[in-house]
Amino acid sequence: MAKIEPGNGLTSAVSRNILRGTTESLALTDGEGNSFGSDSELNAYTSERQTDKYGFIGGAQQYSEQSAENIPPEVLRQREAKWLDMLNNWDKWMAKRHKKMKLRCQKGIPPSLRGRAWLYLSGGKVKREQHKGKFEELDSQAGDPKWVDVIERDLHRQFPFHEMFVAREGHGQQDLYRVLKAYTLHRPEEGYCQAQAPIAAVLLMHMPAEDAFWGLVQICEKYLPGYYSAGLEAIQLDGEILFALLKRVSPLAHRHLKKHNMDPILYMTEWFMCAFSRTLPWASVLRVWDMFFCEGVKIIFRVGLVLLKCMLGSQDKLKTCQGQYETMELLKTIDTRYMQEGFLVREILELPVSERDIEKEHLASVRRWKETRGELHCKALPRMHGAKAIMAAEPPSRQDLRQNPTIIVELPLATKSNGEDKERKKTKEEKNGKKNSSPTPVVADLEPSKPPPPLKDTALLGSNQSLSSTEHDTYL
Amino acid sequence: MGSDEAYNFVFKVVLIGESGVGKSNLLSRFTKNEFNHDSRTTIGVEFSTRTIHLKGLIIKAQIWDTAGLERYRAITSAYYRGAVGALLVYDITKHLTYESVERWLKELYDHADPHIVVMVVGNKTDLGSERSVPTEEAKDFAEKNGLLFLETSALESTNVETAFQNVLGEIHRKVSSKEVTRGSISAVSLASHIPRAAGDPEEKKSCCRNL
Repeated sequence: MAKIEPGNGLTSAVSRNILRGTTESLALTDGEGNSFGSDSELNAYTSERQTDKYGFIGGAQQYSEQSAENIPPEVLRQREAKWLDMLNNWDKWMAKRHKKMKLRCQKGIPPSLRGRAWLYLSGGKVKREQHKGKFEELDSQAGDPKWVDVIERDLHRQFPFHEMFVAREGHGQQDLYRVLKAYTLHRPEEGYCQAQAPIAAVLLMHMPAEDAFWGLVQICEKYLPGYYSAGLEAIQLDGEILFALLKRVSPLAHRHLKKHNMDPILYMTEWFMCAFSRTLPWASVLRVWDMFFCEGVKIIFRVGLVLLKCMLGSQDKLKTCQGQYETMELLKTIDTRYMQEGFLVREILELPVSERDIEKEHLASVRRWKETRGELHCKALPRMHGAKAIMAAEPPSRQDLRQNPTIIVELPLATKSNGEDKERKKTKEEKNGKKNSSPTPVVADLEPSKPPPPLKDTALLGSNQSLSSTEHDTYL
Repeated sequence: MGSDEAYNFVFKVVLIGESGVGKSNLLSRFTKNEFNHDSRTTIGVEFSTRTIHLKGLIIKAQIWDTAGLERYRAITSAYYRGAVGALLVYDITKHLTYESVERWLKELYDHADPHIVVMVVGNKTDLGSERSVPTEEAKDFAEKNGLLFLETSALESTNVETAFQNVLGEIHRKVSSKEVTRGSISAVSLASHIPRAAGDPEEKKSCCRNL
């Protein structure tokens, strides 16, 4: 992270302010609108507290050394190599080895590749390639003032204890604004729904604004269609589905909720609309999202069912729950052991709830709705149950899937002409294609420029670039 | 949260109003004496309780908070159920949020108990220099519509206690007078045991029933 040094254009009074720290951030610019340093350093609030490896400050989002799984670096390296291979042959893996891919998502995507993997899984990568320049166009437009007003009010209210979003008008909040505003321009009939902000924020923690935009589009249109639309009918229907599925998973919990007339909206709204990003410890959020992008909404249903079963599934627990309010309180303060990464993932994988179950209950819920509340206003498109379905619906070209990272370095660090770079691109061993426009190669490439070892070879590559397995997550 | 505390009454009060007017901070100020510039956007339902002493009684106030954005109104009927009081909040520096008050009132009467006690609350008086809603105008509106009215600052803690106390007091007045016929305020649940207020030598009052 860039360090702020005195004499870097800042007056000494200003730098003193930084050190003293305030909870309101200082909008420090160089007069051209570029801000100095990292957002969290501008707001010295964070210098007084520990930031965890996900970027959360002061233990926010329930991080704890004990509860997060610790993957040994060698294993991470192996996984990274496997993922790089998948990303380079995405269509083949999706078509012929989807089961294996699913398994790898279930094991957890290596942090250094998470953003990229999410973009590929969601089909956002394809969308981005097929609509080059679209985000830029939307980004440059002003936006409907009605939506802009609400969005602006929300920018400092998403993950305020995450270093990326802590500074008012910092890069994180700016990008959040850009992504959300772009969406309202992309789908003016939809506009903005507040739960989209945390979704966009999670995406931004892993990828740049344009990618996050397309990720958001895919979530709103393919994975969770209608969730954020006026009328919120889709979320209400899913609430009914969740409740119906609970009957089989935990009859005791089901009976309790029924007895106390607990409308599912009272407990599942934030869970589902934010895909659990505001509920679970961060390590668990990431694992859930890894699976969610691969397998679709059934993962979200399973998390909900696991939590309901754990919290309300035994006579013991229900003893303390005398009424609606007490039940709601219990569901707001889920025991951390049930949300712990290892436990939760195991439970999710073991829960026998399938897409078919969900679709079946969906039909039943829609029927009930029409009987009691009339026609549905929002004719949301059918949802896609995961990466494979999304791809099958709109098969991409090979070109769409080609990787073109924005930052590339060459080794050895001798200067090369563009022509040579293009030739390098053509070699089969080359993992990453090169973006046309970058004139000066800058940062480390992921692999040294020699053929990758076969996957069976478990020896560590003698690389002097860190793959950031234990450092802060970066987006590449 | 005092679930082990004895209490005479439980009153459910809802906070409603446009997004960003300060509902969540009014909640946290009243129930936890906390204020946060960067409190998270409310999605779904939030709630908190606080037990207060009023006219020798122990009242457990169950305060509910939800998202203010227009489209969330579609899911609020469960939210209103059983509410006996409402704080309809607007931001004194944003006239648009005041203009929405009538719409929110309609929303309230569509979904909530007709006897619900309503207070119109003009929040953010700490930003007096940016005021765009004159106190008198809002006060007149409230009076004309039979509603309570106060201006508050969750940030500075001004009038927050008073606002809630007044609403709870008025609810109790309605509940204990014959104004409210039995059964119409369904969720005022009365604890079956009555604690003696500290220092009160009197006999226990007669048993309560659900109204």
